[in-house]
Amino acid sequence: MDIVFRGIFLFAFIFLLTRVIGRRELSSLEPFDLILLIVLGDLLQQGLTQDDYSVTGAVIAIGTIAVLQLLVSYTSYKFPRARRVLDGDPIVLLQDGEVIERNLKRERITQEELAAQARGQQIASLADVQWAVFEPSGTISFIPKKQ
Amino acid sequence: MADVPDALVLKRDRDLEGRQNEIWIRRALMALVAAVPLVALFNVFGQHAQTTTLVAPAASLKIDAPTHFRGGLLYQARFHVTAREELKDAYLVLGAGWAEGMTINTIEPSPISESSNNGRISFELGHIPAGESHILFTDFQVNPTNVAFGRRQTVWLTDGKTRLITYERKIDVFP
Repeated sequence: MDIVFRGIFLFAFIFLLTRVIGRRELSSLEPFDLILLIVLGDLLQQGLTQDDYSVTGAVIAIGTIAVLQLLVSYTSYKFPRARRVLDGDPIVLLQDGEVIERNLKRERITQEELAAQARGQQIASLADVQWAVFEPSGTISFIPKKQ
Repeated sequence: MADVPDALVLKRDRDLEGRQNEIWIRRALMALVAAVPLVALFNVFGQHAQTTTLVAPAASLKIDAPTHFRGGLLYQARFHVTAREELKDAYLVLGAGWAEGMTINTIEPSPISESSNNGRISFELGHIPAGESHILFTDFQVNPTNVAFGRRQTVWLTDGKTRLITYERKIDVFP
């Protein structure tokens, strides 16, 4: 029984953490981020099942997490207002080649980082971009100006 | 103005209308998350040992044991009995709260005998000459499913049936 409660609490905590920590931190997977991710998973496992090495315990824990994830996904799909809270909204970072400083600052993104992201999508200059949108997933979408 | 990409709402997603508070909510929640390790530094979640010394005319008892625990952790409780007068047959009696939801791994040195004293755990330490000490090390592990707030742990030091010292403390066990 306690594994279910642990699962619910830890799921909620990790969900909260991923929402408040900011999308930018989650979008990249640098070597350090990868190590952090593994460490986080290990710490979670300890708190979730502790000394329970049984298959039953693992099934309960995995089942709990799976159901919660499904619940979040369904809620997000079914209720647009909840979606805004659970997933977040996109943020426009650039329009007509002009960066929107206030929005960049809000998401702690520098112009240099934005330009680097654009280069990653074969866009040489931000002036060639019609829209740059910071997506809820943490990626930046670039829509080039029409020629 | 160029076509706005589908599903983008400029007032909301560019001008952030109605979203001004989002950043503050996020910061507040982050502060809440950061507060947990900060609070932990002050031993709120254990398990730094606390020392309590109790003195009676015939003996003194020093207890070193944490009062805040977390499930699964190992810890030690040390009972340091010093005889100020000769103790012919000293007993250290622990209330049920000491063993509730805990695994007792070892007790060193082994007491002369262990018995139940009206539901309490009684360790016979034996004869302690005046001026000498007896240190009892007890090693515990918190059972992972053990959760408690304000659980009472009582200790009695007796010489035969004469009660010399009584001490009660409260412990918290975090899940």
